[in-house]
Amino acid sequence: MIEGGVTNGTIALRNLRAQIETLEAEAAVGGRSVDERVRLIGLVALRGTIVGAIADYEWAQELADRLVGDAITSAAAFLARAHVRALFHRFTDALEDLEVAEWLVAAPDLVDHERAAAFQGLGRYEEALGIREAAARCAPSFNSLGALAMLHAESGDAERALHLHAESLRRYRGVSPFPLAILDFQLGVMCMRKGNFHRAQHHLTAALRYVPAYGPAQGHLAEVEAELGHAETAVALLYPLASTSDDPDYAGQLARILPYIGSTEDSRHWRRQAADRYDELIARHPEAFADHAAEFWLDIGGDPDKALRLATLNLEVRRTPRARELLHQAVLATNSREQDFYVCPAAGPRSGAGH
Amino acid sequence: MSDHFSGPRALADPAADLTDLYAFRAPGNPERLVVVMDIFGKAGSGAVFSDAVIYRFRFRRARIAATGPGAAFEVDPDEVRFDITFEVPSGDNTALQRGHCRTPAGATVSFSSNDECGGTGRGVRVFAGQRSEPFFLDVHTILESAEKRQLAFKKIGSDTLYGTNVLSIVLELEWAELLGDGPIFAIVCETLRKGPQPVRIERLGRPEIKNVSMSFKTFDQVNRDLEIRDLYNSEDAFALLPDYVSAYRARLNANLSFWDSLDGKTDWPLDEGGNHPLTRLLLADFLVIDISKPFQETSYFDIERAMLAGRPHSSPGGRWLNEDVMDSIFTLYINGGNGPRISDGIDAPIAWSAKVFPYLAPPNPPKVAAR
Repeated sequence: MIEGGVTNGTIALRNLRAQIETLEAEAAVGGRSVDERVRLIGLVALRGTIVGAIADYEWAQELADRLVGDAITSAAAFLARAHVRALFHRFTDALEDLEVAEWLVAAPDLVDHERAAAFQGLGRYEEALGIREAAARCAPSFNSLGALAMLHAESGDAERALHLHAESLRRYRGVSPFPLAILDFQLGVMCMRKGNFHRAQHHLTAALRYVPAYGPAQGHLAEVEAELGHAETAVALLYPLASTSDDPDYAGQLARILPYIGSTEDSRHWRRQAADRYDELIARHPEAFADHAAEFWLDIGGDPDKALRLATLNLEVRRTPRARELLHQAVLATNSREQDFYVCPAAGPRSGAGH
Repeated sequence: MSDHFSGPRALADPAADLTDLYAFRAPGNPERLVVVMDIFGKAGSGAVFSDAVIYRFRFRRARIAATGPGAAFEVDPDEVRFDITFEVPSGDNTALQRGHCRTPAGATVSFSSNDECGGTGRGVRVFAGQRSEPFFLDVHTILESAEKRQLAFKKIGSDTLYGTNVLSIVLELEWAELLGDGPIFAIVCETLRKGPQPVRIERLGRPEIKNVSMSFKTFDQVNRDLEIRDLYNSEDAFALLPDYVSAYRARLNANLSFWDSLDGKTDWPLDEGGNHPLTRLLLADFLVIDISKPFQETSYFDIERAMLAGRPHSSPGGRWLNEDVMDSIFTLYINGGNGPRISDGIDAPIAWSAKVFPYLAPPNPPKVAAR
């Protein structure tokens, strides 16, 4: 935690909702400026990230599409839509929006920021690194160093990520807990994927201390607790999420972990819930949910063929080490031939998550 | 909400985002000075103060050091501070917060948010809570004026803030007891991150310095690409760092000249150094009030105008809640008072403030969204 503290996470979330409430009401009666509509999109997307609400992401997408339609010459509108498209893993579409934004003379640093995020999502780490490092050199700040830390976290350079994380914290001057929680969350996920569950537990717990209602942090902490042999703790963390969230990931995790404590019937219930919801979401946003759905079908979902189809789609969308690993596992599970699915022989490091 | 979103960093912290500062002698009670700090523009119904922020008022004695074209204030190095802090609300569904105001004598006045009676201590009364936004303006026509480089105000404008609410902190104090002899005081408010060494997040003195006067980059030939406001916000209003003053000055010179040009004549000729006559006074970015003068409804910048004209001032200055300060600012910037008063087409807020504590009108009901 940083010295001096930040706004209590419950207050911060409450104030985020209070911001959205007013902007939403104003947007509904029309006449809002492009800037305010862009702000609303950003705030709704932020809430979606924090509480893990797919409905918020979908709403942000709807707002962004409408904004681009209404303000076709606005660079800010295309930037906002690029951001939302990246949330749905539509990285190529996001890059196209960024090209338009650039042509409409958007601020270069804003375009670069979003472009690096899209490159990162696509697994084009070298290109993302070039942008992120230049930004951090030019203006070393919490934002630039934190973004660089997240890139290293995702590309698997844990040592560098942790160093940059510490460096970015020193430069944080705000009181919002969200950026800090998100950074700890990313590091927690990185550590979890590397199999360093105690370190993952530390970062995910820190994220939850900043924002107790941080759904994805709670969900991943449950995964970590399960890996550490604390199945009951994991189940206790997952139940409230699975019961209220529109993200099937929690129901899927719950279904996977419940058998460890002997609740097989309950597990079947949550498996069905997750399966139905994944099918719904894959129909609407195939790129966004291909990876998580593939993981689900490969494991408790029990449909490796479906997993293989989704893992293949996922690798088409993003050529990351994790996507390659997921496809590799799907190939093994279906006794398929790896070369039929364009898996690069020099696949990235294996995931240590092992769930 | 004249300072709303006055820099990119403020966007992340709505409960630390200062929007306006007001200072006036309590109507009907000359012994009392009232200062109001507004935060979190367009606050939704659940908005509350941050528990990690110090909301601070700073007072310094000031004197008129020079009049005429080089008009300037001299401000004492010593100051009096009031720090207001808040606890985490007691339950998820309540906006009720306990707040504490620390006085310069080290006493603490505690209060509950939204309690219109406020908390009282020796010579001090404090209110904090959600209120109707007292500020009014038409942002759209301001932006259009800058874009088209011609006045775009309409006879009847559209109040950007109509029906919205803010979080307000109202401090009413016995000025003679707590601030000492005046009669002129320089006042700023600030938000700071709590900690062993509090970090300034925002500061605010005069209305519309960071937005109408500083935000437009296109007219600034020196730092066209520089988002200057976060830097400006982080500075001490009473002691600007010499490193950046020239950047602030360049921005103000450029933007004030733009506003002056809008009526087709020059009311504010630049000096031989290219400086606009108002730049120096506006960079002294604090509200100035003369507590020896009786309450007046419209007197923002009156002291400074008298100083520029080389005559004694007769009104208290400061800023009253109901003043149409945008019209005052546009008239000052565009014709220097050498012509008719310029109206932006918005002449009133949704609800007038009252002349009794806590002054600001109760909050407006939430607008209903129809998604």
